[in-house]
Amino acid sequence: MRQARADEYAEFAAARAGHLYRSACLLTAGDTHLAEDLVQEALGRIYVRWSRISGIGNPAAYAQTVLVRVFLTHQRRRSSKERATDVLPDVAVAGVDTPLRLTLLDALARLPAKDRAVVVLRYWEDRSIEETAGVLNASAAAVRTRCTRALKQLRGLLGEDIGAYARP
Amino acid sequence: MLADQDKDPFEERLAAALHETGGGFDTDRTALAARGAVRGRRKRFVRRAAVAGGTASVVLACVGGALVLRPGGTATEAVPSSPTASAEPKPSATAPPATAKQMIGTLKKLLPKGDFSEERGRGTEPTDDLKVPAPYAGLVFDDGHGAAAVEVSVGRVQPGSTEARQATQCPDRVYTPYDACRTSRLADSSVVTVLQRYEYPDRRVDTKLWTAELVTPTGQHISVSEWNAAAEKDKPVTRTDPPLDPAQLTRLAAAKEWRTVADALPEPLPEPELPGSALHARTDLLALLPKGLKVTDKSSDDGDFAYAVVDDGKGRSLVQVNVQPDMLDAAGDLFGSGSETLPDGTRVAVKQGPGDRGHQVMWTVDTMRADGRRVVISAFNAGTQNEPATREAPALTIAQMRTMALDARWWSGS
Repeated sequence: MRQARADEYAEFAAARAGHLYRSACLLTAGDTHLAEDLVQEALGRIYVRWSRISGIGNPAAYAQTVLVRVFLTHQRRRSSKERATDVLPDVAVAGVDTPLRLTLLDALARLPAKDRAVVVLRYWEDRSIEETAGVLNASAAAVRTRCTRALKQLRGLLGEDIGAYARP
Repeated sequence: MLADQDKDPFEERLAAALHETGGGFDTDRTALAARGAVRGRRKRFVRRAAVAGGTASVVLACVGGALVLRPGGTATEAVPSSPTASAEPKPSATAPPATAKQMIGTLKKLLPKGDFSEERGRGTEPTDDLKVPAPYAGLVFDDGHGAAAVEVSVGRVQPGSTEARQATQCPDRVYTPYDACRTSRLADSSVVTVLQRYEYPDRRVDTKLWTAELVTPTGQHISVSEWNAAAEKDKPVTRTDPPLDPAQLTRLAAAKEWRTVADALPEPLPEPELPGSALHARTDLLALLPKGLKVTDKSSDDGDFAYAVVDDGKGRSLVQVNVQPDMLDAAGDLFGSGSETLPDGTRVAVKQGPGDRGHQVMWTVDTMRADGRRVVISAFNAGTQNEPATREAPALTIAQMRTMALDARWWSGS
């Protein structure tokens, strides 16, 4: 890698690693070890293609896309058919585990992987339906269906008043 | 924001809950970023080895043919030189391994008198996440004039390879502004480059980063970095300059102790031709620029990326191009609604947006042929991406950039 590009990549990775990691923690429903692995894999893929990626408009958004795809590939490999995580991961989080965090991660863990990705992209990344569809290689209609289904399930798990767990 | 539908209060609460929960996760970002780069390097090695493997099998087939004609040929020499044999790095074990503790101890021994804190390091043994070992030592050093982060990492490169050459090259000022950069040759023929630059190329914080990159004739690569702050990012500047001056920095990089560490590392993989190395973006860019523009600066290497700084008499304007042979998988991300498809299937997207700095604009014409061959040209109204605008608009029009990007010349001979 040319030095200038290597520097550019290093700065990009350092600036984005934190956010990618937080996204990955939500995608994995709190499995921090897997989250680290996914981020490393995503950054590794970005490293290899950096000369291409750095030329496109929004490398940060591209990195998120790579992360979500790495996550989904991982899930596909793990299980041939889509299913919710039946064994809840070890939730090892620095700091105090608030009831909200535990409840939310537990609820996320019960969603099928692709639905979880939809929730994370829509409500954590603030992506539109169309953008989410682009990331997931799915139609907008399919994303809407997943989103509606996931919201219904989360409502059931978390209760309408999810904010009751939140810190004031 | 969720602009595409009316927000339901539950969705708002869910978004808030995700942000609160997600925001609570943290890790050592620098380490994570570094491990990502290491994984990337491994992938690139594997990819290179695969490319080389392809070439090697052709070579071997020829050697095999030669064997039939000339018994006693060179097969035994050819086989070990096949890069497929070294797709996984092999330990060379010409030196005993170094532990993280020894790495830190060596660094402390080689630094001038002072206080040390926040010591960290890694030895020469491969770990679960690092199949290619990447030993380093880092600490915060205070000589009494302010705490400063200092880091040394040790690796190996193929002597004479592009990687070896690039490790000791001063960067392009267009992309990395720096105060000074000096390359010198030591008595033992090692090449060392001392670069005095800034942690943030846009200098939003004036953290200085001084580095020494040293490559020996046998490919031992020692890299020393120091800052005028206790960490590379997110810590305040504690002193005017980093603690070691260029001469001290060079001495630290040249210390024999690091060479022994490098000798405990596996031999680096040979460096085969990278895909895209048949491209000649710099030559083509210079040839395709409209007449009447003065080229004041240009990239030093030919390949898949090039830039030129041009001036039409109204101020400098950076023009850069990426030529990429196989980008179909990114087509969906690059060519959305608003892009155009030409009769031959080539897609064209034009973007005129803000650049990185105040009043800077970046115009981009992105093109991809039906087979995935992409040429993307960007032009700025400034001479570098790190400086404010020098003029109203870039020196090229969108129409000129489009004509250039669609030219067949980029692909001739590739």
